[in-house]
Amino acid sequence: MNSVRSLTQAYSQAPWRKQVKLIVLSLLLVVFVALVAGVYLSVTARAATIGREILLMQVDIDEIELEIADLNNQLAVITSSTEMEKRARELGFEPIELDQSFYLVVPGYTPREMARLAPPPSPATPVTSAMPEGYDESLVDWLRQRILTAGSILEEQR
Amino acid sequence: MNNENAWRFTIIGSIVSLLAGIVLIQLFRIQFNPKEVEHFLEQSKIYEGDWRPVYPIRGRIYDRYGHEMAGNTTVYELGIQLNQVKNPHTIALTLNVLLGLDYAEVNEIASREPSDKLIYAVVANNVTKEQIERLEKYKEEISRVYSGTRGEDTPSLAGLEYTPRLARSYPEQEIGAGILGFVNQEGQGFYGVEAWYDDLLAGDPQWVFIPRDPNRAEDLPNIPDGASLVLTIDRNIQASVEEILDAAVENNGATSGTIVVLDPQTGEILAAATTPRMDLNRYWDYSKIFTGETPFNRVVSQAYEPGSVYKVLTMASALDKGAVKPDTTFIDTGMIEVGGAYIYNWNSGAWGPQDMQGCMQHSLNVCLAWVATQLGAKDFYSYMRAFGIGHLTGVDMAGENPGRLKIPGDADWYDADLGTNAFGQGVSATPLQMATAISAVANEGKMMAPHIVRSIIENGEQFNNEPRLLGMPIKKETAQTLTDILSRSLEEEASDALVEGYRIAGKTGTAEIPTPYGYSSSATNASFVGWGPVDDPQFLVYVWLEKPTSSPWGSIVASPVFRQVVERLVVLMDIPPDRIRKALTANN
Repeated sequence: MNSVRSLTQAYSQAPWRKQVKLIVLSLLLVVFVALVAGVYLSVTARAATIGREILLMQVDIDEIELEIADLNNQLAVITSSTEMEKRARELGFEPIELDQSFYLVVPGYTPREMARLAPPPSPATPVTSAMPEGYDESLVDWLRQRILTAGSILEEQR
Repeated sequence: MNNENAWRFTIIGSIVSLLAGIVLIQLFRIQFNPKEVEHFLEQSKIYEGDWRPVYPIRGRIYDRYGHEMAGNTTVYELGIQLNQVKNPHTIALTLNVLLGLDYAEVNEIASREPSDKLIYAVVANNVTKEQIERLEKYKEEISRVYSGTRGEDTPSLAGLEYTPRLARSYPEQEIGAGILGFVNQEGQGFYGVEAWYDDLLAGDPQWVFIPRDPNRAEDLPNIPDGASLVLTIDRNIQASVEEILDAAVENNGATSGTIVVLDPQTGEILAAATTPRMDLNRYWDYSKIFTGETPFNRVVSQAYEPGSVYKVLTMASALDKGAVKPDTTFIDTGMIEVGGAYIYNWNSGAWGPQDMQGCMQHSLNVCLAWVATQLGAKDFYSYMRAFGIGHLTGVDMAGENPGRLKIPGDADWYDADLGTNAFGQGVSATPLQMATAISAVANEGKMMAPHIVRSIIENGEQFNNEPRLLGMPIKKETAQTLTDILSRSLEEEASDALVEGYRIAGKTGTAEIPTPYGYSSSATNASFVGWGPVDDPQFLVYVWLEKPTSSPWGSIVASPVFRQVVERLVVLMDIPPDRIRKALTANN
């Protein structure tokens, strides 16, 4: 009995060792949790920052759209017929009357063209995938296709 | 551990465990109870984000050469956050001085007590960017000067807010107002193409979810702008025609005026001017300008008894049917009885023997009533329907009036109507209907559908609106014969409508105005319709002056207006005089 006790005593750890082990394990756990929390926080913060940037960009887009509309409008106002007539009069021009006009044929002169603000509609074309077949089929599909092809070749050879 | 304190730790441990247990139980209860789950999901959705509508930018409108007639510009809504207001007096005074708003009204709004139902009040709409910039500058100055001061009387613009939005803008202001129509603050189109193509111009608004969680921030979908329109009108022609019309209305003391210019070969409306007009940027003035039953665009919305210009249709029908020939002689005794009613000429005179050119040249009511009887009621009204009288033309502008054509079988049609309808009395049509019907005579019998939109630009592609045939009410030979008759008529009477160097065909019209007590002889509608060059018609011009006081006669009042319009048109449309054009054609 004594020998068993002394053997147990010999292999058992000192109490302070047990405490150190517990503390180290706890610390390891805390460090691990802190690491996970840190990574999570970092990712979340980056996602939040990017989200915020997207929102700000959206606001920028809205502002730019307003600015584009404003600039287009300003251009339309300063080239409006009333403004153009005013500027022409200021430069000394005046509207021509029919009896003041003389019709002259100028070779190469092309009359004003109608507004073409966008290309005409493109002819309807059948929708075809630009992607090679291999990119949109699974491995199983590919294998099945190969096996079927090989089978049909063998069938033909017979 | 001291055994004396052990029980304390045991109690604390038990309480903490109990609390944890309760939390766990509650968690399980919520997670596994569908009603609770639903309730909490609904609650969370309220705070998750907002569904907001995203409106596409309204499409723009251009004239046929690409000049912008309608676009968009930034305006601001000016409002007050009532719970942030520190000094209502400063706000009211500032807005009074800088924007001209009523001091008392703004002061009353700014002084309102905020409540759960009222935290924000709008004080002005459509505030311009320049005004906002001035306001912003003043706001900064006030906060700089009074930054360290406290007290109720300290000047402050706190609570004043402005929100930008896009509003419709019309760079040409009044030009083409009747054609364009306008858009109100809510973005809804009224009248003209703005109303007719409202859905197309406005595009498809979409509801978009905006999450509050920044982790869930998503890019807003790219919503395409509304479709843009290219009109058939030429803004220079439109501006010139409006200028001539305004002068004509003023000089002749007319109540109103209308001029339509269209290309008879395509049905394209090159200009459509009417009075009154409004600056479309100030749509809120609508009710001040268009009082009573004043239509926004008389070109399509006001049907009237056209008078003698209608004789063109009567003669065209009779010639086409073979009821009369150009050299058919009618002996005008100055009076004819049709269906029990007696019809007289405009001067109550008898004009003796007249061929069909004489009847048209002297605008003889008696002769035309006789021509209609030769044609017969059945054929007469059949032709009138073929000319589109009494039906909508289908023009792509809102508010079209079909006019009125009584036909045999209608409760209010009498035999006498055949005689009076023959010279444009007892039948009503809009100026555009008349122009469209008569364009068949100008265009070898083919009546093209009148239209105002030349192309639609949608999703980056331009779709052209091809000319469409409405019908062929008369034969090509008839159209040529009548054109020749009308052209010679103008030349022989040395009409005020003639334009040097260009052969024109046309007809005057003077119509008495119906009243509840019969026809008024003191007020008339003076009209003129003409087209040219007759061998290759590029334009058809319809003029109508309502109740001119300078003279009641269309030949005196409306013919010179037609000439003025044509003199401008041939320059603006680069139409060479007939002599040069024929020489050029021969050389080619």
